[in-house]
Amino acid sequence: MSIDIKALKDKARWVRNQILEMSLCAGSGHVTSSFSCTELLVALYHGGILRFDPKDPKWSGRDRFILSKGQSGIGLYPVLADLGFFPVSELRRFAQTDSFLGVHSERHTPGIEAVTGSLGHGLGLGIGMALAAKQDRKKHLTVVMLGDSECYEGSNWEAAMFASHNKLNNLVGIIDRNGMGVLDFTERSLKLEPFGDKWRSFGWDVKSIDGHSFSEIFAAFKNIRNRRSTKPLMIIAETVKGKGVSFMEHKLLWHYRVPAGKEIEIARKELGRAI
Amino acid sequence: MTNVNIQIRDAFFNALYTIAKKDKRVILVTADCGAPSLDRFREELRGQYYTVGIAEQNMISVAAGLALEGRIVYVYAIAPFATLRCYEQIKVDLCCMSLPVTILGVGAGLAYDIMGPTHHTTEDISIMRALPNMTIFNPSDNVMAGAFARLSYELPGPKYVRFDRAGIPVIYDKIKTDFSAGMTELKRGRDICIVATGVMTHTALKAVKELQRHSINAGVIDLYRLKPVDEKMFLGLISDYGHVVTLEEHLLAGGLGSIVSAIISDNDKHVRLKRIGICDKYNFEYGGRERLHELCRLDIKSLVDSITRWFSAEKVLVGNE
Repeated sequence: MSIDIKALKDKARWVRNQILEMSLCAGSGHVTSSFSCTELLVALYHGGILRFDPKDPKWSGRDRFILSKGQSGIGLYPVLADLGFFPVSELRRFAQTDSFLGVHSERHTPGIEAVTGSLGHGLGLGIGMALAAKQDRKKHLTVVMLGDSECYEGSNWEAAMFASHNKLNNLVGIIDRNGMGVLDFTERSLKLEPFGDKWRSFGWDVKSIDGHSFSEIFAAFKNIRNRRSTKPLMIIAETVKGKGVSFMEHKLLWHYRVPAGKEIEIARKELGRAI
Repeated sequence: MTNVNIQIRDAFFNALYTIAKKDKRVILVTADCGAPSLDRFREELRGQYYTVGIAEQNMISVAAGLALEGRIVYVYAIAPFATLRCYEQIKVDLCCMSLPVTILGVGAGLAYDIMGPTHHTTEDISIMRALPNMTIFNPSDNVMAGAFARLSYELPGPKYVRFDRAGIPVIYDKIKTDFSAGMTELKRGRDICIVATGVMTHTALKAVKELQRHSINAGVIDLYRLKPVDEKMFLGLISDYGHVVTLEEHLLAGGLGSIVSAIISDNDKHVRLKRIGICDKYNFEYGGRERLHELCRLDIKSLVDSITRWFSAEKVLVGNE
């Protein structure tokens, strides 16, 4: 399948626009930690990496995707809506009365596998799913996206040990490595590095990529269903928190903040016109 | 037929083995916790048995992931670790998604006596009943425990079954019940009704005999499904009593006494209630369970003393009203 990188870049710009507008409608939302993983989500869903059926979200042959960093639900919702999991008109009702789209993604939303939002759960959930797939000799993948600060939660390392011990090579983790937590940068508050080595020592294969480069994302997922390795795979994607809006990029202030006044104008301008 | 000599948890696991042998969807995940009855499960049902090591949080999340894929999952660990250590996983992964995972905790109450408070399970009823969608079973003998294997398999949603550890005498070998009611009136009385659960149901039955010597005619209800409670049935069973005593090997905060207190007050019932359980402290004393009971005033002598004093004072009070 040939990949139209320009179309995917346009799609990523559209998704960022939706994230911004949704957060403005609701007055709330984790904008910057959703901007950091936009290319990853677009590549997974629009780039043909994941197999799914928007008309049958529970299709048994689908790949399972768990957004363990559930606060980036606002980034996943536009992707799912655009593909037809639910009407795009729902996006503007984000986090408002009678909406099924909350700040943290949960299972009542078509296309969402599990309740997440409390960090450190997704990898264990994904492991259970991958284990079941192995037992049933099913070929679908289980992909879990985590935040880097999320990896402070010890539960992830319990899960990591179990995954490698049980040879779950049908499990792929992606870490949105934007280098920032809530109050500080990760390497100032509590060092994660050498991060890749940590995962390797827990028995995982590790790939490090630029999380905003579609070509690197696709390269990381090449032959993902025919891996010879018996190890689970962790893709550490270096990203920029707030990518796309200059006054948000790498700024701790913007973890959970919505633009106001002139900031809105500037953000809209920098994100370009939505398609 | 249940072997009256086997432990509560083994009765459960023996019954679960029979179910799991026929239904490959049944999976057991343990946190490095064993039992004689599990050896057969582990050896003969290999694809249905996993250990996560001493990692209770992962135990719950993995179980939830399996349940999301259509499995009926049982997780097993020592009770305080199967509940408190992974409480948030239970809340989010099991209860928020209402998944068919049964948590099996061994060592209810003070069963692990000389191990100290780290291994005592005296908060679990309180915290587990706070969770929406949770069902809680507390078997008082191995006949009941065996039946809970079938009940937990058939009921939807998350469940918690707390096992005692020691050999507990059998009560239900001759009582005809499928245990779906959640409670059994073991003895009808006239003066007071003792509502007990788990191992303390046996203590309550012994206390009845002693109380009779003090001219107190006591009845006993075994409340073995702590959540949900069939309030209508319970209120019907206590309707002829003016005095109710709750008896539990659990902290008073949030346990059986709190459950009964809430039912009584929510339904505007005028019943005098005395709650007997473990006071607000951790017990670092040793010498075995009976010694701990003496210290917590849960032994027969202390119970009879507490109840007779209370009932005498109550009779004076009621007489003056």
